[in-house]
Amino acid sequence: MIQKKVCMVGVFATGKTSLVHRFVHSLFSAKYHSTVGVKIDRKQVQVGTEQVNLLLWDIEGRTPEQEIPESYLKGAHAVLYVADGTRRETFEQLFSLRDHVRSAAGDVPSIVALNKYDLKGQWVVSADDGRKLIGGGFHMLTTSAKTGEGVEDAFRWLATATLTAPPTPTVQPQVRHGN
Amino acid sequence: METETIPSRTTRVDAYGLSHAGKVRSVNEDHFAIMTLQKAVQLRATNLQDTTLLDRLRKPQVDIFVVADGVGGGVGGKIASGIAVKAVVEYLAEAVGCVQDFNVDRENAFLENLSQAVERGHHRLKEMFQTQGGPATTVTMVTLVWPRAYVIHVGDSRGYSLRRGALKQFTRDQTMGDYLVDIGAVTEQHAEKAGLYNVLASAVGGDFVPSVGVVDLSDGDALMLCTDGLTKHVSDERIAEILRSQTAEAAVHSLIDAALDGGGTDNVTVVVAKAE
Repeated sequence: MIQKKVCMVGVFATGKTSLVHRFVHSLFSAKYHSTVGVKIDRKQVQVGTEQVNLLLWDIEGRTPEQEIPESYLKGAHAVLYVADGTRRETFEQLFSLRDHVRSAAGDVPSIVALNKYDLKGQWVVSADDGRKLIGGGFHMLTTSAKTGEGVEDAFRWLATATLTAPPTPTVQPQVRHGN
Repeated sequence: METETIPSRTTRVDAYGLSHAGKVRSVNEDHFAIMTLQKAVQLRATNLQDTTLLDRLRKPQVDIFVVADGVGGGVGGKIASGIAVKAVVEYLAEAVGCVQDFNVDRENAFLENLSQAVERGHHRLKEMFQTQGGPATTVTMVTLVWPRAYVIHVGDSRGYSLRRGALKQFTRDQTMGDYLVDIGAVTEQHAEKAGLYNVLASAVGGDFVPSVGVVDLSDGDALMLCTDGLTKHVSDERIAEILRSQTAEAAVHSLIDAALDGGGTDNVTVVVAKAE
């Protein structure tokens, strides 16, 4: 079976662990646990005729000023960037984060999960911001680990992208916000 | 004849472990093991100019630490934790080649091997006690291929790292209390009152849902694995203080003493490893 390492990266408390928990176990926990080191989960997905075993490396969140250890990123086949729509700093660090990831893992397929869409009324990230991100070469989806919205799509998009380069999004990137 | 001594670049790991029945229980249901896998050619002296040979000969040193806390009443828990730790030791001894022929590209297979070591204990227990609700055990295992620590965790024993004086728990307790509070089914107060934190949601020999993780270490960091007989009596602050200031052996003795001074109501097992 094909195995692909997917790294989850982003500032602390953006919902990386919750997205994995939703995707793998179909559950959501409102209680926050900070991850120490890396937690690794597995999930098989079917992509066309291929069965892909995704190894989800949920890497501990850092402050915007701290860099993720390169050793965690090495060998990644894909990256899921996670930002919190209610916290602007988690969105603003995406470009520098991508530079760091590329230097460690190369230019592997990636997508931004703009998370916590269930709190859309509190979002501080606008549609213009989303367009800037897409203009900067990011693929993006809005997600909610709480409701499950967009979660399956994000991981499936990555699984597909690891098999087909250059990837074409199966779900069109879009930004929605509550204002 | 010219010779040259080859300096060793292996990071030395100072590790020590101890288990105590505590002050209340007559049976110690905990077990632990500390192992080092060594399969290397040691070139002690040479006049060869091409020392890249050393890199091809050198196998990484693999240190393995495991603690297990059996549950099941009577001697059942003791048997369960013993079987689980023995199965890990046996599996890794058989798979020593797989474990040491390790590189980044084979990391997933390596992790799979480590999981299977714990899973073997699970299957042994299931075969031995075929009834539902038979003896079971926690297992927390760290495999250290410096500087990376691979973690396989089942149940509510714990793993901690100490970095720059700060203690962090890298395992998450797998109890019914934690699980139900996480999904919002009950409050922490209710879980506490109902004793749900004492019921394992995942165990070797029971409902087996191992958690897998990785922690990269730096020089001067410490690792500690323990059963809950320690953490129910000794605060994180006190644990950090002891780990910061003492050698592995001294720290283990101090931590066990602290647990006994705090009441010693449960079996207590502690393994400490410090990178030097």
